[in-house]
Amino acid sequence: MAPKRKAADSGRSSSASKRPTPVPDVTEISSSDEYSDDQDEVPEQNNLKEVVSKFSLESFSKKSHLDKTDSRFGYKDLSSLPLKRDHYNRPLWIEPVKGTITLESFSPLAPQAQDFLTTIAEPLSRPTHLHEYRLTGHSLYAAVSVGLKPQDIVEFLDRLSKTPLPESIRTFIIEFTKSYGKIKMVLRHNRYYVETTDPEMLQRLLKDEVIGPQRVESTEGIIERAAPKMGGLVIPGTKDAAGVRETGTEQNAAAAPRNDNEEIAVDYGIDDVGEDTDEATTYSFEIPPAGVEIVKARCQAIGCPALEEYDFQGDTENANLDMDLKPAARIRSYQEKSLSKMFGNGRAKSGIIVLPCGAGKTLVGITAAATIKKGTIVLCTSSMSVVQWRNEFLRWTTIDPSDVAIFTSDHKEKFKRSTGIIVSTYSMVSQTRARSYDAQKMMDWLQSREWGMMILDEVHVVPASMFRKVTSAIAAQSKLGLTATLLREDDKIKDLNFLIGPKLYEANWMELAAQGHIAKVQCAEVWCPMTTEFYSEYLRESSRKQALLYIMNPRKFQACQFLIDFHEKRGDKIIVFSDNVYALERYALKLNKAYIYGGTPQNERMRILENFQHNEQVNTIFLSKIGDTSLDLPEATCLIQISSHYGSRRQEAQRLGRILRAKRRNDEGFNAFFYSLVSKDTNEMVYSAKRQAFLVDQGYAFKVITHLQGIENFEGLSYATPAERRELLQEVMLQNESSADVEQVNDDLFSMRSGNKRPGAKKPSAKRSAATLSGLAGGDDMAYIEYNKSKNKQLKDKTGHHPLFKKMERERQRRKKERETGVE
Amino acid sequence: MPRAVKGLLIECDPSIKSMILKYDEERRDYIVEDLDDENHLVIKESQLENLKMRLDKDLDEKIMQLDESESE
Repeated sequence: MAPKRKAADSGRSSSASKRPTPVPDVTEISSSDEYSDDQDEVPEQNNLKEVVSKFSLESFSKKSHLDKTDSRFGYKDLSSLPLKRDHYNRPLWIEPVKGTITLESFSPLAPQAQDFLTTIAEPLSRPTHLHEYRLTGHSLYAAVSVGLKPQDIVEFLDRLSKTPLPESIRTFIIEFTKSYGKIKMVLRHNRYYVETTDPEMLQRLLKDEVIGPQRVESTEGIIERAAPKMGGLVIPGTKDAAGVRETGTEQNAAAAPRNDNEEIAVDYGIDDVGEDTDEATTYSFEIPPAGVEIVKARCQAIGCPALEEYDFQGDTENANLDMDLKPAARIRSYQEKSLSKMFGNGRAKSGIIVLPCGAGKTLVGITAAATIKKGTIVLCTSSMSVVQWRNEFLRWTTIDPSDVAIFTSDHKEKFKRSTGIIVSTYSMVSQTRARSYDAQKMMDWLQSREWGMMILDEVHVVPASMFRKVTSAIAAQSKLGLTATLLREDDKIKDLNFLIGPKLYEANWMELAAQGHIAKVQCAEVWCPMTTEFYSEYLRESSRKQALLYIMNPRKFQACQFLIDFHEKRGDKIIVFSDNVYALERYALKLNKAYIYGGTPQNERMRILENFQHNEQVNTIFLSKIGDTSLDLPEATCLIQISSHYGSRRQEAQRLGRILRAKRRNDEGFNAFFYSLVSKDTNEMVYSAKRQAFLVDQGYAFKVITHLQGIENFEGLSYATPAERRELLQEVMLQNESSADVEQVNDDLFSMRSGNKRPGAKKPSAKRSAATLSGLAGGDDMAYIEYNKSKNKQLKDKTGHHPLFKKMERERQRRKKERETGVE
Repeated sequence: MPRAVKGLLIECDPSIKSMILKYDEERRDYIVEDLDDENHLVIKESQLENLKMRLDKDLDEKIMQLDESESE
């Protein structure tokens, strides 16, 4: 009854193995009608979207289960699945059509089940009591790539499921895993090999009319060699590593001869490693570098994507980099888990690791680099994070500072020795317009080298097209993507699966919070009613201006003021986020707080941030969008959001990330607070609900606050009288539409992208007005006073002059005094 | 000559009040007196049912409209 496999493993290939003499047959590709009952997509090599859509169970099993539908239950009629007798002891519900697995996380078996499920399925949502996962082609692919056998997966699910494992799931797992991970693309000695553990698969590949001819004929044909063992590899910073350090060099000595054996196996094609490798023999044939792209595409089309792995231990071509984690550096258990998925079989797999903000993504990247010990290129989003990455490398590893070079528009360094680490930004590498001479030279140098690993920081921000440019420009053996929020509103995130690799690991936010690695956060959505006047205008206005109205809602302003006051009294440090610059300025000036937006000069930003960190008088800052990412302020413990980028789930999660690394997170009963202020009955409500989706899936619960206790009795509440509110409304109405726009940001909080002048930044032009000199000087009864003074200006440097100048000044004063006294 | 109109004091959210104000602008046939605060109005009793229906309809529409804009 096994339902036919769908297009992912296309009819063509399955039929090829059924035939007694599998001959490459051109007609079969074109005539998809022959297999129209079990496939409706002709495999197209270059159509990424189609390939993506193929990897879902839904499309896989839709055909085979039509007969079970009952009009009363729709597709969810699962009456055919009887409960097991001891079902209450088993924590899993498995839904046969969509492959959703629901885990009762209160069950005593849940922790183990959870570990296993994160390996084989994609987590959909993980609130407190019920977790939801989904089996997909990709997740199974990832599971197989860490060495799980399909039989294990099936057995495990069957054991924990409340019902017998649905047949469709069983077939899905077995069919998909059969081909997944079977083929590996291996770079060895700078030559590309297609490798497989299954001789049948090898035959199929060689007979394939696209892949077959790609094989390099001059080589000795099929190479048989022992599969690598985890043995020699130890991820630094883990407990294993500590053990190795104790035993000293013994292990290294033991590992060396074994490697030699492998070399022989490669060179002569002889399996001389011994009997224990009977099962784990791999077969490979060489393909030319130019054929890699073609073979990869073809493998994907026939439903057995080639895994890309990097055998860095066996790589003698690229020079080793002398670096190791410092003995003091201990990586946390989840970091270890994520890395062990990457280095599952002693080789480096490409893929994406998802960890929440503040959970130490950088350290994961560094540890990976220290494990591979080859030339590494790190790409990040801004020049500030470039500097941070370099500092982190120096902080955690024993690497020589001259081996970590920076490539930005200001710094173009190369490392002195044969290999090292380059840290750069996406924009530097992918730029295609004219570059400066030395940047071009540097780029050529980057492209001429072969890199052991490419670390891609914040992968979610990179558009797929830019990403293709980067990956094609620079030859890297393996790629590691790091991100906190693997989601995009445009759904392009799936492309990353193919461009970098599968998601290797996704951390559970709630679990990390419970273990104290990130702060516990209370999330709340505060509903602020619109005032009658504002809402009347809101109903009248165009949608852009509407945004301005709901952001400037006086009730919201009051809520903000109240919350700031409340939390300042508790001793919290508060960040207020507003995407809208007009509102940012208005709020900050009215409340007399410091604020930073794109137009704030560099030194002023630094001064404000320093004051926020160290000055007890400054407990609140207002930040525009520039504060969303890469901002590290561990002092902040409370976050208030007054306006945001429509329904962006990513922004919400990134903003939450600003308080996850709160310094005080390990204090007893400490909670960070995240408030989102929303104007009732406006579009904001819809956006807000949408924005929260991601965090809710991570297990965060948003409390809705409809009324802030005690706000009526708050002293000095702004806009308390209708007259004041009307005044504000008038002011808002006078703003033109562009004020409602969200700020365009080209840089991050710390630095302008130097070299490129920001387009909006014009020099302030002089203003001319006619007046008498005496009038301007105040002679005509005119005096100046500044209202609504910006707090920014009051945070002047108190330190003032350099000690040397201070001393000189003191001496000058003294001499002056002496002279005066002398005269008298 | 004095004229008596049967009025009804209603209490509603500020936003609803502004919607009623908007309706009233068209033909001035709903409101008897706008009490100058956030959420009270005196309306003509005869219009109550009509008003309720109209509000229901508009609020529903508004929500639908929001859903559309969301998917864009």
